[in-house]
Amino acid sequence: MIEIYKRFWQVNWAEQWQYRANLLMFLAYWLVSPIVYLAVWTAIANAEGSINGLTANDFAAYYLTLLPVDIITSSITIHVLAFKIQEGTISNELMQPVHPILTNTLMNNIAFKALTLIAFVPIWVVLVLLFRPTLTIAPLNLLLAIPALVAGFLIHFFIESLITLVAFWTTRVWAIWQFNEAVSMLLNGAFVPLALMPAWVQLVAQVLPYQLGLSFPVLLILNRLPAEALALNFGLQIAWLAALYAVFAFLWKRALRQFSAVGA
Amino acid sequence: MHPFLVLAALIKINVQQELAYRTDTLVNMLVSLMWLGWELTGLAIIFSNATSLAGWTFGDLLALSGMWRLLNTFMQAVVYPNTEKFNRGIREGTLDYTLLQPANSQFLVSFSRIAIWNLWNVGLALATIAAGLLISESRPSPLNAAAFLALTASGGLVIYSLWIVLIALTFWFTKFDNNVTLLSALADTGRFPATVYPIWLRVIVTFVIPIAVATTVPLQALRGDLPWWQIALALAVGLVASFLSSQLWKAGVRRYSGASA
Repeated sequence: MIEIYKRFWQVNWAEQWQYRANLLMFLAYWLVSPIVYLAVWTAIANAEGSINGLTANDFAAYYLTLLPVDIITSSITIHVLAFKIQEGTISNELMQPVHPILTNTLMNNIAFKALTLIAFVPIWVVLVLLFRPTLTIAPLNLLLAIPALVAGFLIHFFIESLITLVAFWTTRVWAIWQFNEAVSMLLNGAFVPLALMPAWVQLVAQVLPYQLGLSFPVLLILNRLPAEALALNFGLQIAWLAALYAVFAFLWKRALRQFSAVGA
Repeated sequence: MHPFLVLAALIKINVQQELAYRTDTLVNMLVSLMWLGWELTGLAIIFSNATSLAGWTFGDLLALSGMWRLLNTFMQAVVYPNTEKFNRGIREGTLDYTLLQPANSQFLVSFSRIAIWNLWNVGLALATIAAGLLISESRPSPLNAAAFLALTASGGLVIYSLWIVLIALTFWFTKFDNNVTLLSALADTGRFPATVYPIWLRVIVTFVIPIAVATTVPLQALRGDLPWWQIALALAVGLVASFLSSQLWKAGVRRYSGASA
């Protein structure tokens, strides 16, 4: 099995490497909105002194940590998979004796991320020099962040895979995806640190899976979470991952049946 | 052929295409309504934590988000579909057929595809701008209102010209098929006043990829924030940009030898 993943990695890395110039352009998508929101909240924090105890420096530290976390945990599954389902070319992959999403698509995601991160590091250094946040990061928190980031990525990966599977039934999968994006961007801490949301929104955001892949790892790295919050979020990550995987496995079986009915 | 006749024919074709996919149209309209709700929620969150953003009130920012929607609609309705067609034309050689037609090639390449359902978005944008202006209780002088309209038109012209430059560059760099990626990534900066941004980003969105000239700048004129010489300068930039871009386009077409040749 490890050999299989190694092969898929090699293929996908080579494929992404071919498009490295495009990748640099796409990096702009990851950079622009966090920098925009950072600027907005910094302007407000500077005008009001602080917002809910958060100073301009806190926002800079938050968003500069969020940038790499976002690249590590986000998923590009729908972009690389939906058209294969809609055009039927996924049938080539279905012939192979491995799960196409859990091998090829997964490795494609990781290869894309790896290359994007390499290009991102120098830009990140420049941004840190421009915004000069005081980042105090404890080694223990970085260590704990590793499982949190992996689980956060897998949660995003399965949510997006689930949405993409809907393409087996309807062509309007992008509308569903956009709706999911909209909810996610408000509740995962990308638009604003969740602490600035009304209490009931914070509660909803805490329970839903979106913040587990963004706000949680960011706050963990910044050492803003007490021990019980850490335990709660790690527990939620495991629970959501198990639930999402179960639904994914179920839907995948149904999707295959659906596919052979249409394509055959 | 008269450009208006060509445009009328193009619109007719695009309306027919739109009507063939009625449910998609409806879904698209609902999705953009959802995004409008998203933007309003975002503004509500900002203003539950602040009374103003760099001197801009809720109404001002609402008007700005309408300006941004106008820009975004232009990208969705015209820029993306025509860029896609153009890039395919360069790659596969079908651009030859466009160039052979007896009408202005720049006009044909930029307006042959129009995603008509975006008229809905234009309506939403205008309603948002109007609501924003009403809420902010701005009473602009007739002169400021005229400057606003003129700058909106010239801001649109600047963005259009930049787009023409970007796709014309494809004549020289054939593999440049992500020509509008940067433009579309930076478009999001138009949601907020450019004055909020750190100086380096303000320079980028004002001079390099000038999103702000189509969003922030016209509203600044409406608020009376701009001295007359800046307004004159912005209008001049619009005219110069459209002249230079059409020259570059012509040079590109002269250089083009077709994918098949």
